[in-house]
Amino acid sequence: MMWNWLRRRRNDPETPDMITCQEALARVYEYLDGELGPAWTEKVRHHIETCRRCWPRFELERAFLDHIREQGLPSVRARGLKERIQTLLDEVDPD
Amino acid sequence: MTDVDRDLKRAQFEAEALVHLDDLYGLALRLTAGDEPWAEDLVQTTCLRAYQRWSQYEVGTNCRAWLMTILRSTFINEYHAGRKQPTPVDYDEVGEWSVFEDRSPEDPEARFFERVVDERIVAALDALPDDFRLPLVLSDLQGLKYREIAESLGVPVGTVKSRLFRARRQLQRDLYDYARDAGLVS
Repeated sequence: MMWNWLRRRRNDPETPDMITCQEALARVYEYLDGELGPAWTEKVRHHIETCRRCWPRFELERAFLDHIREQGLPSVRARGLKERIQTLLDEVDPD
Repeated sequence: MTDVDRDLKRAQFEAEALVHLDDLYGLALRLTAGDEPWAEDLVQTTCLRAYQRWSQYEVGTNCRAWLMTILRSTFINEYHAGRKQPTPVDYDEVGEWSVFEDRSPEDPEARFFERVVDERIVAALDALPDDFRLPLVLSDLQGLKYREIAESLGVPVGTVKSRLFRARRQLQRDLYDYARDAGLVS
């Protein structure tokens, strides 16, 4: 019974092939980076939308990356750097 | 070039480009893992190159992004020229384990990283081995695609993918260890 149902689902063009949690989690960053091809993107998207275990894991990974993006690149003032660069520029012509 | 031309271009360069100096230095520091003299050198070279190619820049377009592109390629060239050799990484040591497996997603402490101050995040980034740090900086802090990172580091896309995976897991673990040691999470 179960197998027939599964097979039907797999053959249904509306339902992407089902993948395991392990297969989904192995691709978490490629998915979040938008680097998976369309077929795998669809499989992973479908998996996390229906998997209670994976969905929060993906959200945590996404939040972690967002946090690194926000905090990881502070601008920094280097003392005297602007003046040194201005002196350098005095010596050359702009193109 | 007349003096008027030169003064005009110089004023334009100061207004459009030199305003981004602190952002450029911030990026140079992350690329060089906090090497201040090298980072300052990179910013100087970048500004000089940009000034000498100023006619290629279209006023009003994203000058900051243009300058960052010049800085990245300057860095990559110097890096490959052997100014700094990457420290070898023991890949097995890093593994693929995620610290999030330790925490139930409902646990507010699962978002431990939000309690860590920015200086610690920057320090943890700088402490990553070059093979991990550079793909991570280029991807997460510069928004480059895997293919672009592969081209600039001269490695296959598959290598970028696996290094980025391990870099992020390593960073999670370092920040998690720090958060626990500092008593930010139990």
